[in-house]
Amino acid sequence: MTALVSARGVSKHYGETRAVDNVSFDIEPGRIVGLIGPNGAGKTTLLKAVLGLTDCDGDLSVCGLDPFRKRRELMHAVSYVADVAVLPRWIVVSKLLKFVETIHPNFSIEAARASLAQTKIPLNAPVKTLSKGMVAQLHLSIIMAIDAKLLVLDEPTLGLDILFRKSFYTQLLNDYFDEQKTIIITTHQVEEIENLLTDVMFIDDGRIVLDESLETVGERYTELMAAPEQADRARGLTPLAERSLFGKSVFTFEGVSRDQLAGLGEVRTPGLADLFVAKLSRERAA
Amino acid sequence: MQPKNKRGDWSLMDADWNDDLPIYRQLRDRVVAMLLEGVISDGDALPSVRSVAAEYRLNPLTVLKGYQELVDEDLVEKRRGRGMYVLPGARDKVLADERRRFLDNQWPDVVAMMHRLGIAPADLLADIDSDKNK
Repeated sequence: MTALVSARGVSKHYGETRAVDNVSFDIEPGRIVGLIGPNGAGKTTLLKAVLGLTDCDGDLSVCGLDPFRKRRELMHAVSYVADVAVLPRWIVVSKLLKFVETIHPNFSIEAARASLAQTKIPLNAPVKTLSKGMVAQLHLSIIMAIDAKLLVLDEPTLGLDILFRKSFYTQLLNDYFDEQKTIIITTHQVEEIENLLTDVMFIDDGRIVLDESLETVGERYTELMAAPEQADRARGLTPLAERSLFGKSVFTFEGVSRDQLAGLGEVRTPGLADLFVAKLSRERAA
Repeated sequence: MQPKNKRGDWSLMDADWNDDLPIYRQLRDRVVAMLLEGVISDGDALPSVRSVAAEYRLNPLTVLKGYQELVDEDLVEKRRGRGMYVLPGARDKVLADERRRFLDNQWPDVVAMMHRLGIAPADLLADIDSDKNK
């Protein structure tokens, strides 16, 4: 299968600052990829490069195109919600749909209307009368009505309450996603999307520190909850990180088999949030 | 949309996953539990991968993997273009498996516990019968 997004040695400098530092990765079609990193890690810069909104060094190909040089063509195949996306406050929803129809060749106004019909957003309402959650829904209805190969969501649920966040992802999976489509999501609410993802990338300080499918995360990383008397033996196996919980020590291991750990306590697959903390503290210590 | 099932009771699968087992495995276990409880029966359609993925915000590959487990165990079959269906005899099969598991794994513990506590089989049988007569 050819990768939908392929990066080889991609870097982006702002003056002396390396926002993205020599990253390489592939994203196959039909994947839902979480791009996870602390503020200022380079997530948005990397997404901008993927979307052709900024130039960069190295080789980057999206849908077989050079995103910066062929952005016009690329825009037919991708859609994007920025974390700072704003719609003009004065525009009326129905006019907004007509406007998008005139500027985007792959936009289906019928699909957008059908999607909006499932929300409480009236077509004759000006954007300024909509709640924050409704604006996010409106955004989603518009971009999901674009028949795109790649959908990029940068903090799509920022500032939304839990009910909206849940229905946002439900709508995304129900009405949009299929095996031909690819989604890249960034968010700080890792726990909320970890079951949704097929792949995860951790980015820190402009570099990719982890790039795995969720399946291989479960094979490569393990979490051990050890009783105090076993803790020293566990430390001997060089864990990535250690924390304590209810008087027990919890260790995160990379590349240590479950059989090796089995006698030392309870073994399970770490959650992405804990793995992220473990991996980053290790990278930063190195 | 696919019909859910007879009682429309797919909500029985609340979305509380535990961390100890992979989710695809828990999904498989829940379908098996629903078979045992009679919530779904032989010949019923399972909800589509898409609707389960959307409802529980799981990636569709996880749902597919859970369903594939059931296919591998000959409990459901994939009908091309139509989705997953519970095979005839699936419930009997699950029931036989679970009975065997109970007799092999749990029953010896029960017997051991009865010896420890000095409970005679007759006491328990009397208990079961009086429950029935209530």
